Amino acid sequence: MSSHHESILREPLVTGENITYSKVTEDILVPVENKPNKAWWIGFIVSALGAGLWVFSVSWTFWFGIGEWGLNKTVGWAWDITGFVWWVGIGHAGTLISAVLLLFRQNWRNSINRSAEAMTIFAVICAASYIISHMGRPWLFTWALPLPNQFGSLWVNFNSPLVWDVFAISTYFSVSLVFWYTGLLPDIATIRDRAAGARRRIYSILSFGWNGSVKTWQRFELVSLILAGVSTPLVLSVHTIVSMDFATSLVPGWHTTIFPPYFVAGAIFSGFAMVQTLLLITRKVMNFENYITMFHIESMNKIIILTGSIVGVAYLTELFIAWYSGVEYEQYAFLNRVSGPYWWAYWIMMTCNVISPQLFWFKKIRTSIALSWLLSIVVNIGMWFERFVIIVTSLHRDYLPSSWVMFYPSWVDVGVFIGSIGVFFTLFLLFLRVLPAIAMAEVKLLLKSSSDQAKKKLIAEKAVNRVEAEYYLESLEKYDSISPNVAELQKV
Amino acid sequence: MESNKKYWKGLEELQNTKDFVEKNKNEFAEPLPMEEVLNEAGLNTVTPRRDFLKALGFGLGAVTLAACQTTPVHKSIPYLVKPEEIVPGIPNYYTSTFNGHSVLVKTREGRPIKIEGNPNCILSKGSLDAKGQASVLDLYDVSNLKNPVLNDSEVSWAKIDEFVKAELAKIKTSGKKIRIVSNTINSPSTKAVIADFTAQYPYTKHIQVDAVSYTGIIKANENSFGKAVLPKYRFDRADLIVSFGADFLGTWISPVEFSRQYTSKRNNTALQGKKMSRHIQFETGMSLTGTNADARLPLKPSEEGIALLNLYAALGGAVTGTKPLANNPNVEKAIALTAKELTAAKGRALVISGSNDVSTQILVNAINSVLGSYGTTIDLDNPSYQFSGNDAEFTEFINEMNRSEVDAVFFLNSNPAYEFNDTKAFTDALSKVKLRVSFADRQDETASLCQVIAPNHHYLESWGDSNPVEGYYTIIQPTINPVNNSRNAEQGLLIWADAAVSDYYQYIQNNWAKTVLAQSGTSWKLLLQKGSVTLPERSAATYTFSRELDSVVQTILAESNALAKAGDNAVELHIYQNVSVGDGKSANNPWLQELPDPVSKVTWDNYAAINAKFAEKLGIAERDLVEIKTDKHTITLPVLIQPGQAYGTVSVALGYGRTKAGKAGSEVGQSAYPFLRLVNATFHTASAASLTKTSGTYELAQTQTHHSIEGRNIVRETTLKDYLKDPNSGTGHAHVNHYDLWNEYEQPGHSWVMAIDLNACTGCGACIVACNAENNVPVVGRDEVRRRREMHWIRIDRYYTVNEDGNKVTEEKEIEKLENIDKVSVIHQPMMCQHCDHAPCETVCPVLATVHSSEGLNQMAYNRCIGTRYCANNCPYKVRRFNWFNYWNDSRFDNYMNNEFTQLVLNPDVTSRSRGVMEKCSMCVQRIQAGKLKAKLEKRTLKDGDVKVACQQTCPTNAIIFGDGNDPESEVSKALKSERTYYVLEELNVKPGVGYQTKVRNTVEV
Repeated sequence: MSSHHESILREPLVTGENITYSKVTEDILVPVENKPNKAWWIGFIVSALGAGLWVFSVSWTFWFGIGEWGLNKTVGWAWDITGFVWWVGIGHAGTLISAVLLLFRQNWRNSINRSAEAMTIFAVICAASYIISHMGRPWLFTWALPLPNQFGSLWVNFNSPLVWDVFAISTYFSVSLVFWYTGLLPDIATIRDRAAGARRRIYSILSFGWNGSVKTWQRFELVSLILAGVSTPLVLSVHTIVSMDFATSLVPGWHTTIFPPYFVAGAIFSGFAMVQTLLLITRKVMNFENYITMFHIESMNKIIILTGSIVGVAYLTELFIAWYSGVEYEQYAFLNRVSGPYWWAYWIMMTCNVISPQLFWFKKIRTSIALSWLLSIVVNIGMWFERFVIIVTSLHRDYLPSSWVMFYPSWVDVGVFIGSIGVFFTLFLLFLRVLPAIAMAEVKLLLKSSSDQAKKKLIAEKAVNRVEAEYYLESLEKYDSISPNVAELQKV
Repeated sequence: MESNKKYWKGLEELQNTKDFVEKNKNEFAEPLPMEEVLNEAGLNTVTPRRDFLKALGFGLGAVTLAACQTTPVHKSIPYLVKPEEIVPGIPNYYTSTFNGHSVLVKTREGRPIKIEGNPNCILSKGSLDAKGQASVLDLYDVSNLKNPVLNDSEVSWAKIDEFVKAELAKIKTSGKKIRIVSNTINSPSTKAVIADFTAQYPYTKHIQVDAVSYTGIIKANENSFGKAVLPKYRFDRADLIVSFGADFLGTWISPVEFSRQYTSKRNNTALQGKKMSRHIQFETGMSLTGTNADARLPLKPSEEGIALLNLYAALGGAVTGTKPLANNPNVEKAIALTAKELTAAKGRALVISGSNDVSTQILVNAINSVLGSYGTTIDLDNPSYQFSGNDAEFTEFINEMNRSEVDAVFFLNSNPAYEFNDTKAFTDALSKVKLRVSFADRQDETASLCQVIAPNHHYLESWGDSNPVEGYYTIIQPTINPVNNSRNAEQGLLIWADAAVSDYYQYIQNNWAKTVLAQSGTSWKLLLQKGSVTLPERSAATYTFSRELDSVVQTILAESNALAKAGDNAVELHIYQNVSVGDGKSANNPWLQELPDPVSKVTWDNYAAINAKFAEKLGIAERDLVEIKTDKHTITLPVLIQPGQAYGTVSVALGYGRTKAGKAGSEVGQSAYPFLRLVNATFHTASAASLTKTSGTYELAQTQTHHSIEGRNIVRETTLKDYLKDPNSGTGHAHVNHYDLWNEYEQPGHSWVMAIDLNACTGCGACIVACNAENNVPVVGRDEVRRRREMHWIRIDRYYTVNEDGNKVTEEKEIEKLENIDKVSVIHQPMMCQHCDHAPCETVCPVLATVHSSEGLNQMAYNRCIGTRYCANNCPYKVRRFNWFNYWNDSRFDNYMNNEFTQLVLNPDVTSRSRGVMEKCSMCVQRIQAGKLKAKLEKRTLKDGDVKVACQQTCPTNAIIFGDGNDPESEVSKALKSERTYYVLEELNVKPGVGYQTKVRNTVEV
């Protein structure tokens, strides 16, 4: 493929000088092959404490009962399903990046897909933990699966969106896991080849006997493509099904046909925000600036504006349809969201999800690492509130005013949620320690075609149009990791 | 024949070679490698194949067996000698009497588990109030004394008898007084026992005092007509009822009877006859009765007497010295209109007052006399004996004790240390009495001041009788062996009096044989079967009031002046009984504590109810704590903003603040008894007080926190005028298209449905307790109610509407803006699982734990439920209840089920639910099943009325009708055909199985 060059006009996907295949391996395997640095330890201890809180809070719930949460006779779901939907949504960016962008040959995905997929898997684990822990009798969770049983013909209720949910989440988790692991194989083999002793044996087993032959690579490409094909519908279907938990019910504020697209957009929105949150730190701490460039950051910010705007339109559509439907319960539900006792939650949601991403229209903000990170957190908060608004403000005042109540979380609710974030980061940090955070094999593919170095070489060889080369070099100014080489510019 | 054909196996055999012949000698042609197998590889292998298979087989089998969970062992001891009348699993019913009402006691395997009204009871006609329903739980109260107590130590009955007899003998010789203090006793046998005791100890006097007294009415009737009785009121004959503060549907004299009578003029039958009574209520706090009134006017206690005077004057009565109600023009206007209406309804009208003031009641008598009520709506010749306490006698008793004239006192069903308004005076006086005996079943406030506690039986353990109204006698028979070492109080008195017959059972039989049985010609056996004897009613004579009213007017005006004090914080305090806890006697009953007040929906507390505008003026908000202070007593209570409360008044419920009631009832709320005022020899409930905000806040545990319908048509009502024009007027039935996504369920056999008449439901809450008892519904306690997690399967939604200039304002935000919020109308809507045919809960359950039956029931399979709560979220009626905790095995819920002894009250036909499981109204599926089985055994089809659900059965007003919708002749089918029928949220097309009949208000346009 070395003969194939990407257009010089395109921004480089790998920056830095003297990047060789071995340098890629060296750079990316630093955290895997060395003792963790201080930053990692701090992060890990904090996360592990969070995970400990999760274990404590969930055990507390299991011991005493779901009554330890703040739920009541009217509000049967609150922080639990809010957390569940939030985590599932976050997972979506990973799948989108690994599957959809692969099918569309968006090569910039190559340096972020690994972490994004890992994020997906850990987010789905957190989401799944909520499914189990929100049950009144979690020890019977297998009953939600269509397993043969001693009760004869007793099956699950295939009408129930919760059953669809079980299928959706389990399919999603298994496909994501397989896809992620398949992608890891060549990289694990690389680690294996460089390791010695017990590590070598472990990675040897994990590498499934990868030998790097042409046939292996061919199969690898094929499997990746097939799995991408399988995963792509999941990007749409999983959150569609999650939204059906609400959309197929008759609770005013839930019973809306707009939910599937709106949830999918919201999921991708929150997912990219979370990828942003994670990678901006990872790239700094792990010195991955050459591989995760400003171009990646900016691209993801653009997706955030797009999906954020879709979500914003959905919010406004909901309000309009509620008014237009003429259904008084529906109208009240939305009036109550906007101006009821939980008005603050609605307006936090609106501000965080609709207004703040619009700031990314400004290139300065879009390309500022600090602001991008800050806004990604804001979006994550906003998306949590979106689910809270949908779930709690719809339930707490539905049809019969006699049953209208307020919901107040207990410390256990908070503990489980904060704890789930701890679990997520613990898993993510462990992942950074033992597996390459960037798909080395895939980045290496780009080295000869889309790296800054390759492009400069072309310029040096005068193999490209001068105007285009100038444009390219000028536009490099935008990237924080490269200072434009004036000399080089003049050489042209 | 042998075949001569020969087949050979090989050429060797054909040729019969030498080799072959040699080999053919042996069984096997080649030697088996036995040696090899046995010596070498075979025996050297660690596990030979066979052993391996054996071990594998055994191991698998053993593991399988070990993995099989052993079925939990529930030890039940079968009858060694089975009592003839007990069949395990089949309930027995016995007649008994609760509070003068004949009841049926359902027993299972020898333990009473449910009280039901006796259809033969002339007062209740088979219904029962919340207290009656809850009374069975008192039997299983762990706070009850296990043994008699002498000087704070448990002793045997012989010791008690020895001690008391010796003391009594001393007192007899000394000639000092003996007093038996009790609440109203209308039991002929108990009275006879007391008479026998008095004969033995001549200085004995029986003093009756009621926690909430009706002395005023009795004295007034004595004064007016020479008959010191509590009359029999006939609400079923009254077309116009005007009540001044009498909560006759909730707590006043005989609420079950009155509710039934009252509704008979307002229910579907009455409406079909195009008639409905009219009810005007003038009152201070919002009472249950006030919520049902067609017109309700708030007025202060100080204005009540004057309003009555003005009414009397407007009716043409001669009164001098009265004045118009300058501060309350609404009432003034209403009085004039009421007078007009009353005049038009002469002979069909009834005016009553809840006051205990003799003068006020004399005035009410005068009014009723003018209206010709005596002989029609008031019957003085068949009086009620439900209350006959005399306040003056009790206060005189305290004086006697203070003068050290009393040497012995016996407390029977009386707890003056709590119920008397001056506990200290009582305690001090009591300490001067030598022999103090209490018959209380627990160490209550008074019993703990006594040397001897001789615990009385619970009524379900004892023999007894009752004569609640003239000519009606009921029997109490035991339904269980005494649980504790208790004894009938009467038996004690008989023993101490050395009576000839000391066995109380024998005594009652003798007494009945002499009196009622002889008069009625019935037998003892028949009596036990029927539960009561009714003697022919006397004819009600007409009485005319002819007394001078001058002194009455003066007293009323003086009392009014005493109540109306000036000052910024001045407030008129009004003390009342609420429907659930009442006078506080059964304060330790968790069912009653958790029964929401029908008006405020508050559980587990009493509170200071004040008007919103008044609160605003004082700068008080809900949850604030306020100090209520009179010249005698001060308490601090949380505030409840009560719509309809008269401006400048505060209402506080009695029955709370018990200190020694038991585990559940002690330290709940504050006692309001000290606020009772003794005026002119009767206890008054109103006093002048001051109200000040104090620091701190307190959240009341309410089961309903939003009180207006927000303009939704979930409750529908009309006026009588509109109804007569168009019976559909309330339902607003438009043409509804029924497009269905779903298949219809076939209901080939029965289709269980329900009809609830909003015009009959008074909101009393008896159904809630009946349901609790029938279905083992957990009690969750105050904190959990605050978290909105009460478990009741049936609730009564109560909505307020403010009427302003003929408009109904139903939205909270609009109501807040209104200037005048006095004209409040209230509606009660019983709400339980609607058993929708297209149940939204059923489609969403992931594990099919809630499914539809072929008889139209929405059923819960508790064992299948995994607790996702999706069904509850998707229930538009919000009737599903989740077991947040293991209420029967969690020390934090020590009210009711978390106790092996109290668990004996549970209905064995209904599973108790584990934590994490959803539950809800099952339409008493166990009763349906029992009815079907009974019909099957009797080889007949199920008849309408064979199956009655618990809420329906206890309802004093028959507001709930249950039955088979497939049977066009069933009562419920007929009720649902009413033009007033509508279904709540029918536009959702969930096809609810419970139809509601619109509320009709008999309003009069001015």
